[in-house]
Amino acid sequence: MFLRKPKPKGSSAAWRIAIWPTVAFALGSAVAFAIMYLLIARDIRARSDAWLSGETEVLADVSRNTPRDALYDRLVEEVAELASREVPEASDSQGQHRNAVFFLQTEPRQEPIWVGPNPKERFLQAIQRAQLVPGVPAEVQVPGWGRTFRVVYHAYSNGGGLYLGFADVGGAQMLDRLTERCLMVWGATVALGFVITWLAAYRTLMRVERISVTVSRIGSQDLSSRLPEGPHFDEISRLSRTFNRMLDRIQSSVHQMRILTDSVAHDLKSPVTSIRGGLEVALSDGSQGPWRERVAEAIDGLDRLSQLLNTTLDLAEADAGALQIRKEPISLSALVQQMVELYQPAMAEHKHEVLTDFQPILIEADVSLLNRTIANLLDNEIAHLPPGCRINISVRARNGEAELLVEDNGPGFPPGLDSRAFERFVKGQHSAGHGLGLAFVEAAVHAHGGKAQVVDRGGGAAIVLTLPLVEVLSEKVGR
Amino acid sequence: MRLLVVEDDLAIQEFLTRALTEAGYRVDGASNAKKALELANEEVYDGFIIDLGLPDMDGLDLIGRCRAQGHAAPVLILSARRSVDERVRGLERGGDDYLTKPFALAELLARLRNLLRRSVPPQSEAVRLRVADLELDLVRREARRGTELLQLTTQEFALLEYLVQNVGRVVTRTMILDRVWRMRIDPATNVVDVQIYRLRNKVDADARHPLIHTIRGVGYVLKEA
Repeated sequence: MFLRKPKPKGSSAAWRIAIWPTVAFALGSAVAFAIMYLLIARDIRARSDAWLSGETEVLADVSRNTPRDALYDRLVEEVAELASREVPEASDSQGQHRNAVFFLQTEPRQEPIWVGPNPKERFLQAIQRAQLVPGVPAEVQVPGWGRTFRVVYHAYSNGGGLYLGFADVGGAQMLDRLTERCLMVWGATVALGFVITWLAAYRTLMRVERISVTVSRIGSQDLSSRLPEGPHFDEISRLSRTFNRMLDRIQSSVHQMRILTDSVAHDLKSPVTSIRGGLEVALSDGSQGPWRERVAEAIDGLDRLSQLLNTTLDLAEADAGALQIRKEPISLSALVQQMVELYQPAMAEHKHEVLTDFQPILIEADVSLLNRTIANLLDNEIAHLPPGCRINISVRARNGEAELLVEDNGPGFPPGLDSRAFERFVKGQHSAGHGLGLAFVEAAVHAHGGKAQVVDRGGGAAIVLTLPLVEVLSEKVGR
Repeated sequence: MRLLVVEDDLAIQEFLTRALTEAGYRVDGASNAKKALELANEEVYDGFIIDLGLPDMDGLDLIGRCRAQGHAAPVLILSARRSVDERVRGLERGGDDYLTKPFALAELLARLRNLLRRSVPPQSEAVRLRVADLELDLVRREARRGTELLQLTTQEFALLEYLVQNVGRVVTRTMILDRVWRMRIDPATNVVDVQIYRLRNKVDADARHPLIHTIRGVGYVLKEA
């Protein structure tokens, strides 16, 4: 199910979320397995100790009640042999890797009776070194023998003693197999636990990711859609609900803002419209006179006023995030090319040389807003450059973004102004503009999810606009 | 041609009525939607000019009501908004047009002419245009003044073609940008003036009978003397 969901851009936190529960789970289950192992090992040892003690009692009994005649040794050996056969696989010829039993009886002034693996010397030495306490099973390590023997010592009243040793290789192998399987099961469980935790975290985070994708789309394009809130009332649904309430408030304030700018626009433009209309009617009656020039100037003034008004209201809307944009796929290079062609004669009139370098790239933008943006940049060049400058205009894809660069070799921004170039009403001392041109450029570029920057390229002024890139087209055009 | 102007600002309504009457239309005015609907039901109009900001009804709703009542005449929408919203663009696609305030009368008249022409069958497209001794070959994209072939760029030819098509009528900078460059922008510098100036240097080079004239404060017109 989660496979159909969009892959999040960038890294997912699911790894980080899944790793700690997995570590905790791995440690916890390892401890549980270790405890189980110890309990089982203790049980096995207790079982073999019980057998040893029982057999020792029997052997001691036999030894006590048997007269010390010529047959004594033989009899004790027989009994010891019988006892050792009770242990499974004890008589197997494979030796060290099978269960092993030894029996030793020492008596003063007599040869010890030995029943068990040969040579017996290293066993005897090991037993002597072990300093066993009568009746208490203890570990005895026999040099050259892989397994430890559990040995019970029974002391006779005459100073002799009886030793019964048992190396429970079968039990040890069982423990080894148990450990091996436990490790396998443990590894599989930890891996499965990790996968499950990761998937659960991933699925949850995908819900968060969907919220973030939706919210960013809503923020930039359309304020009317809402996040699905879902049937559950968990944290993520609450997050969606919170976002939706926030969007309600933003939408309402954007709506208020639009109503306000609309009514300001209406109230201010109606008189401008009627005054301009009246002046135009006066000009159209055909009569001549010096008043015509004055009327024409008044009309020009009104046009500048309404342009200022439009830009001011656009900026106010842009500040409130309420600038309406209608994106469509367009070729940025073609759009800039067309605008440069429009401005070329005016540039030539000012003796400016315009050099262009256009890489064909596709972006998504509001054509009318972008046209105004580029026109503002070019107007800015004409308005501020002394005659005879060189202007470079380039469009290219860089670092996955569309980049429009307008740079000149003029005097550059006045000192201290470059960092404030995009602020409202900031303009050069001799500028005839209203200081909103570049502010509008920045607002429009922001509304498209891009950014506008003044870059220092050593002399002259350079402005770079970066916009989200859709695609680089193949054919190279430009002059 | 009979027009209904629906505009609540009486000063605007008055100068529109005056200008449209001078241009040869019969004009009625209404200052609210109620009055407009009454008039539309009583009279037969060839076109409507409707302001969006009416006191009693949204202009677009009024257009909807008019359409619902069977008035099919084209509508020119006047809007104080500078960026025209989606719904108005939709209407534009439907055959109606819009203008943002403040507007130049010349542009209003040109758009109105276009709108009203759409309701009559289109004339066959001319291949050659001629004004005085200026001749344009629209197929070969060539222009001649007298016998001399004018060296025009593609843009200059398009601009000249637009002026010749509107011979005798004033066109504004906004109209030129809209119709020749297909842009609705409002440049802060004199880019259009320079384009016209360059074109004039080529077309009216001998200057005895200039064809391209500037009407200060209004726009440009191509006409004989």
